[in-house]
Parts: sequence; structure tokens; C-alpha cells
Amino acid sequence: MKRTIKAMLACSAAMLGTAAAAETMTIGITQNNVGVDSYQTTYEKAFIEAADANPDVEAVVLDAGGDVARQIAQIEDLIQQEVDAIIIWPTNGEAVIPAVRKAKQAGIPVVITNSNIAEQGFDFVSSFSGPDNITQGARAAEIMCDKFKEMGTDTEAQIVQISGQPGYTTAIERAKGFEDRLPEVCPDVTLLESQPGDWNREKSQQVMEAFLVKYDDIDGVYAGDDNMGVGALNAAKAAGRAGDIIFVGATNFSVGYEAMEAGEYWGSIYQSPVDDAKAALQTAIDILGGKELPFLNYFDTPKITQDNMAEFDKPVF
Amino acid sequence: MSAMTRQGVAKLLARQGILVAFVLFMVVFAIANQRFLAIDNISGVIRSSAILGVMALGVTFVVIGGNLDLSVGSMMSFSTIVVLDLHDKLGPTLAIPAMFGLTLLLGAFIGVLVGYLKLNSLIVTLGMLSAIHGLTLTWSGGKNMDIADKEATWFSVFGQGDIVGIPVPILIFALLAGALSLVLGRTPFGRKVYAVGGNGVAATFSGVPRARVVFFTYLISAFCVATAGLIQASRSLGSQNTVGQGMELEVLAAVILGGASLLGGSGTVFKTVIGVLILGFIQNGLLLVGLEFYAQYIVTWIIIILAVWLDIAAKRGRLWSSIA
Repeated sequence: MKRTIKAMLACSAAMLGTAAAAETMTIGITQNNVGVDSYQTTYEKAFIEAADANPDVEAVVLDAGGDVARQIAQIEDLIQQEVDAIIIWPTNGEAVIPAVRKAKQAGIPVVITNSNIAEQGFDFVSSFSGPDNITQGARAAEIMCDKFKEMGTDTEAQIVQISGQPGYTTAIERAKGFEDRLPEVCPDVTLLESQPGDWNREKSQQVMEAFLVKYDDIDGVYAGDDNMGVGALNAAKAAGRAGDIIFVGATNFSVGYEAMEAGEYWGSIYQSPVDDAKAALQTAIDILGGKELPFLNYFDTPKITQDNMAEFDKPVF
Repeated sequence: MSAMTRQGVAKLLARQGILVAFVLFMVVFAIANQRFLAIDNISGVIRSSAILGVMALGVTFVVIGGNLDLSVGSMMSFSTIVVLDLHDKLGPTLAIPAMFGLTLLLGAFIGVLVGYLKLNSLIVTLGMLSAIHGLTLTWSGGKNMDIADKEATWFSVFGQGDIVGIPVPILIFALLAGALSLVLGRTPFGRKVYAVGGNGVAATFSGVPRARVVFFTYLISAFCVATAGLIQASRSLGSQNTVGQGMELEVLAAVILGGASLLGGSGTVFKTVIGVLILGFIQNGLLLVGLEFYAQYIVTWIIIILAVWLDIAAKRGRLWSSIA
């Protein structure tokens, strides 16, 4: 309640045009591992830009460098600094829970961004802001199925799946979303086999090479992200079989976008790190403003195919 | 069986135990899936093993010299990212020598620390693993590196080209293996590497310049890493910052599987090549058999340990050690 009043004060102060530094919302964020990939790098940049653009927000931007212990220390620091809200991109869905609990006990609302923490920590979290990986997998299945229907091959098509790193929630959810949705929309399409490509283009290329040796007839490849999808595409191109195969990914990367431009890759799911960052900040602002939010506050990740790609900017990662 | 031939078999087993193990695995996989021995598959496996293989050639020198190199994985990421970045800035003709120069500089740095300053190679290269990863991320700003115009460049020849039907990565691997095998087996420098690794103190007293020999083993390792980075970059014409992550252990596994002793002083380039191929064919074979992925981890390492056991058992002529 106290937070709400403070936020309202900040709002009225802003309206009067006399926003003092003390009345702004201080929002701290501890990120997973900035710099390890372009997505996280772009996310951080977009977050800082969005925070700078909002005069009511003062952001404390931290990065755990992939280290759980450092992230826990950063959360404790943010509690000590008495920030108004904490956004966490968990390095580990289980290990951060005690620190999240501490924040809750200190009366600081916590927003989890991008990848959720484990369920036993949900009680201490105000909201999760991020992409819905199950929907992303399901939509990828729809893209694949629609294309087969258009080609008239949906009665007999055979596909393979290259999933993300084993054991990672994102990988599991993107596979599950796809595997559950595909038989609903295209009951006659057969999923021959799934193997992990570990989010790695080279690994995915090797897996696809083995698939091509093993199966004479592959009509489609579903990859957990475009990096792996393009690895599979490279393998098929080398074997001279790319023309017969429909490639679909679950997150659009710039390499996938380029392959779509070249007409070699059919489609993917558009997940923008800029939207991801803005959604996280907005979720925190809304909570401080006393707005009612769903616990799982997903931002939209639309389908992108060769047909509608002109509506989307090329991904920066 | 006469005593003569039995002795002959025992001798062959003792000297080439790992080769026998290799043939054994190939036969088992070939029975499990008849496509395993298809020319396409074999050439595919060797081509994708070439990157790991080229790195293992260099590490063979380091290990025979009595040291470790855990930095090769992140150094390979560095080479790959650097050559891809410079490709669009300087053009491939300048980017390749520039990348080799920078990678050799890293190798020289490690060589000075381990060779001349006599620091523990495990600590030095473990530290360099992280430091070089940081360097790579700083260079790239964390972004994936991609060549802008993938169709227009001849740079793809190292990873994707073929000469008289043989993929270029296989040719590079074979040529480098041949050349380094000669260096190790037929030159005074090669003999010094064995001497330094076998007994460093004795070597020093015999006038072998220990520090300089160790320094050069790291330089050779860095050269191999740069070559591997070149193949990797050329193969996908784009890369993540973490492309080589974790490869240091696979490389080491291949070298040890080949029979090089971690204590230094023994091993050959040829056996390392066999070690590399065993790793490559195990992974491919398990994929073709269609084993559930989680089980693949387990089976891979069971096979590796079996192979090492077979090798050692063949050397001592019995399965169990007589001294408990």
C-alpha cells in the first residue's frame, strides 16, 4: 500500500512538473548474463533506453554474469538500497528463490523476466513478464502445418525436431508446445525423431547430417530457435536436399530472417528482446502503480513467415 | 594357435590396442545400422570431427611435453569470432593472417607463462579459458558474428569446399596430421618434446632447452586452434561467442583416448587421430541408432572408458592389474 501511495505521489508530482528525484520509482534489475549472446545484450540496451525515456523511473541495472551467487548478492544489495521494485532474470530457477523470498519479506515487489523461476517460488513473486514458450512451440506447429496444407502434403509429411539444450525449461516448453499442437492441427504428419542441438548451430548441423543419412524422406524440420534451424538448413543444402524441406524455428534470429529473405527458410516466431525488456519494465511500473496484472504476464510473440516478414524489422540478434 | 602367432597377436594388441577397439566399435555400429558405413556418412563424420581433430593435434604436443591445455575451447571461439569480424572489415585475404597472428600471440603468452616462468599449466590454461572468453565477448560486444554477404565470399572454401571430391576440412586435418606426425616423430624437436615430458629434469641436465620446447608446444597448439577456428568460421559463416565452449575436455578426451599419457612423454599423432575418430563415430553411431538423448551421454562415456581399458589391458597382457 505504501508503495502505491509513493507511486501516486510520483505521478502527481510529475503532473505538476516538479518531479523531484526522491519521488521517482527506483527499479533495480539483475540480469542473467549480458554479453553472452546478442539477445541479452540488446535486452539490456533496450531496458536502459526505456528507463531513461521515462522521467519517473530511475533504474539500477546489474548483471550476474551467469553466476548464481553473484545474482543472490545483487538481489541482497538491491534490498539494502531499498529500491521500489526488483526485476530478476534468473540465472537459475531454483537457487534464487531464497533471495526472492527475502525481497518479498522486505516488502519489495519482484518481477521475474524472460525465464520463470521454479513453482515453489511463485508465492514470493508479483508477476512474471516474458515470452510464452509453449505458445511459441504451438504456433511453430501451426506455421508448419499450414504450409503442408498449402502444399497438399499434410496427409503424408514426415518431420524431425532439433530441440534446445536438454534440461532447460525453454527447450522443454518449446518442444512440448510443438509436440502437443501438431497432432491437433495436422494429425497425419509424423514426427520421426527429436534430438537436441544445444542451441548451437554447429551441433545442429551435425544432428541434421545424421538425420539425412538415416531418413530418405524428410519434409520438414522444426528447430527450437533459428540458429539451430539454419544449422539444419546448411546440412540439407550440403546434401542437396534443402529444396524438399520446410524449415520452421521457434524464435526468429537475424540468420533465420536472412534465410527467409533468400527463400530457403519458411518461418519462425518473432520474439523481440526490445519488447521483452519494455514489458518487464512496464510490468514493474504497473505493479508499483497498483494495477491488477495476471501472474503470467506474457508479451505477444507473433508468427513470421516468408509471406508476412515485410511487417517485421530484421532481428538484431 | 601356435605360440608364434599368439605372440604376434599379443604384440599387435599391445601396440595398437586402441586401433583394435576402434575397429570393434565400427563393426558393432555397422551391424546396428547398415547406413553407418555409407560413404556420405563416413565423410560427414570425419568432416565434422576435423575441427576437434585439428585442435587435438596441437594439444597432443602439449600433453606429450608434460603439460595441459584447457584454453583451446575458448581460444577457438576467439579465432572464429575474430576472423568473421575482420572478414567484413579487412577482407578475407588480410583477416586470415591477422587472426592467426592474434591467436599465436595468445599461445605465445601461455607458452611464456608455462615454459619460461614455470607456472603450473593447469592453473594457467584454466585461467586463460576464462580470460580469453572475456576477450572474445569484449571483441564482439556479445553479439553473434555473421558475414554480411554469404554468397559472395570465397572464404567458405575452408569449411564447405571440396577438392577432387574430398571435403577441404578433411584435407586440412589429414595434411596437418601428416606434417605434425613428421615433426613429432622424425625431427630433433620432436624428440625433445618427448624428453621434456618424460623427465624434465633429466632433459634439462642433458642440455635440452626445456622452457623453449614447452613454449613451442603451446605455439603449435595455438596454430592448430587458429586452423580449427578458420574451418569453423568458414563452415557456418557466422558464429556464437560460445562456439568452442566445452571443447577443451573433448579434445583432451580424444588425446588421452589415443593413448597419450597425462604425465607426459608418450603418445603419437596417429593415435590421437584414432582417438578423435572414435569420439566422432560414437556420437554419430548413437544418433543413427536413435538412442534417447540422455542415454547418449552415458553410453558415450561408457564406450570411452571401455576403449581406454581395452588399450591398457592389451598393453599389460591381462585385464586386471596384478598389483592390487
